[in-house]
Parts: sequence; structure tokens; C-alpha cells
Amino acid sequence: MTPKEALASPWLTVRVQIALGLLFVAAALPKLVDPPSFAHMIYNYRLVPGALVNLMALVMPWLELLAGLALILGIWTRASAGIVGALLLVFLAAISLNLARGNAIDCGCFDVASANRTVDERLSDMRLDVLRDLGMALMVAQILRTKGRGPAPSPA
Amino acid sequence: MNLRRHLLEAATLVFLAILCALVANALASRERKLALVGSYPDALKVPGAEATAPAPLVAPVAAGSEAKNSSSSPADLLRRFPPHNKPYVEISGDDVAWLVAHGALVLDARRTNDYVAGHIAGARAFPVWESDIDARVTALVGEGRDGAMPVVLYCSGGDCEDSHMLAQKLYGAGFNNLLVYRDGWPDWVKRKGKSATGPET
Repeated sequence: MTPKEALASPWLTVRVQIALGLLFVAAALPKLVDPPSFAHMIYNYRLVPGALVNLMALVMPWLELLAGLALILGIWTRASAGIVGALLLVFLAAISLNLARGNAIDCGCFDVASANRTVDERLSDMRLDVLRDLGMALMVAQILRTKGRGPAPSPA
Repeated sequence: MNLRRHLLEAATLVFLAILCALVANALASRERKLALVGSYPDALKVPGAEATAPAPLVAPVAAGSEAKNSSSSPADLLRRFPPHNKPYVEISGDDVAWLVAHGALVLDARRTNDYVAGHIAGARAFPVWESDIDARVTALVGEGRDGAMPVVLYCSGGDCEDSHMLAQKLYGAGFNNLLVYRDGWPDWVKRKGKSATGPET
């Protein structure tokens, strides 16, 4: 098996799907429990018009949860991977933009408690967040490249 | 065509997420609920870009008239903190201690659970991120208070700006002597100010 084949193997795709799904479910839970804190996080990004902040804080965690569960269960894999990919692009753009303009914020990615951190700590965490999201985007690419081309594989 | 099916599935997931979000929000407790349409006037303003908050107010301290706990009157409050007609002015812990001792209205902009865990004695809960904040502001306006009287607002100090956000709501509602406790609750704890715990009575 060449490395290229290994990277595209269905065996790997299943693992990637479950791992990515678990990450998204884990990210969704704290936000579902405390929407006002997540709304505060979104507000801090200073990218969303005030009227839409709350709506986004309510819907986005559910989208993460449902797409994550679908990935884990292998239901609508391509669609849910697409949603996860789109969310990751939004996250990447939002964090990068704030990094570029030096607005140090809490990611609000996996928890919504605003820790008392310095500006430098926040900025360096934001750089790591970008790397992490890029890694997850690679996982999405793996799923989309191997899954759902043509009819669903029948259980042999 | 597969693409169409996938798009339909994705749209269904988005629809389900919106449905779940609306139902969950309708069933959520007061502290966990959000107003569907937010009202955050500064949502697109990057902090630090024009990082100059209004200069801290240096209160003219009339020497001699500062006897501890002299029977406080509204005139005392107004003499030291006249209305400034700005959205807010930041003040220090010393000023807050004086204002609290002289019976100024104090509002806590932090989340309800933070308020319950401990707040400045006599402060009222105005959790600016919770869904009923606008109703609370309306109720406060309905009390027919004099908008010129000083009102102290605080949250958790540092880069917390919840009290500034609350100040803007109140400024829009006709209060024009809003004083933000710059260092907020942590500073109050440090200076061992009089505090209380438990929900608002």
C-alpha cells in the first residue's frame, strides 16, 4: 500500500470521522450549557453585527453537536463533513482576522469561561488555535476526498 | 446528482440546529436564556483602536466635609459627583467606597451566579448578558429616579466591559451620571469592602 493509498483508505476515514465528530461534540457541550457566555465570546470577536450575536450563539453549538454526532454515527457523512469544514473556515477567518488586527480574545472554542490571561498569552493561544483548526480542516479534507463518491459503500 | 442530495442533507442539519436552538432557548432558565435579537451597539468596534476611555474623573474632594458617614444627602453625592453627560466615566475604588457609604445606587453587571456568590453590599443585579436585562433597565427607569444622581456600575475589572455595556444602555435611557468602577469586584474584595452574598432580595 502506497502512502497515498493509506491516506485515502476507508479504514482511516472511519477513524478520522469519529475523532472529528468527538471534537465537535466536545466543543458544543459547554456552549449549549451557557449560551450567554458564548454570546459574549462571539461579541468579543467584533465581527458579527450586534443583532445577530445572540442568534449565532444559540444556533452554532447545535450545528456543531448535530454535525459531530452525524460524523460519529456515519450518517450523512459528506454533508456533515461539509458543515464542519464550513464552520472551520469561519473559525479560521475569525481568529486570523483578530490576530492580524491585534485584538487579543479568548477563543471560546472548547470552553466559554473567560480566563484572566494577559494579552500575550491570548495572542499565542490564538496562533495555536489557528494551527489546530488547520489540522481539523485536513481531517475534513480526508473525509471529503474518500467518502460519498458515488453510492455509499455496501457492508461487504 | 449526489451534490444535490448532500446539499439537501446539509440544509436539513442546519434547519434542525435552528429548531433545537429555538426550543432549547425557550425552555432555558432565566440565566441561560438569550434574547433572540441582541442589542450590542459596539459589536463591530474593535477595542484598543481608539482605546481612550473617558479620562478618570477626579472628584473634587471638599476637605473637611468628608467626615466619615456624615449623614448622607443627595446634595452630597451631587456635589462630589455632578452629572457629566457622558456615556460613562471611570472611577477608582476609593470613590466607589465613598459613594457606597453615601447611599448611591450600585448596579452589578456580572452574571447572576457571580452576583449570588458575592457582590457589593446593596448592589442590585443587572446581568447585562442575560435575556431580561432590557426589562430590568425599563423597570429601573420606571422607578422614576433622578437621572442626574450618580449610579455606580461594576463587573469584574480588568478587561471586563460588561459595566460599560450596561452604562450605554442606561445612558440611552436617560441616566447621565454613570460611574464605572474601573477595577471592579476583584478590587472590592481586595480592599475588603462591605459585601453580601445570595440572590437579590
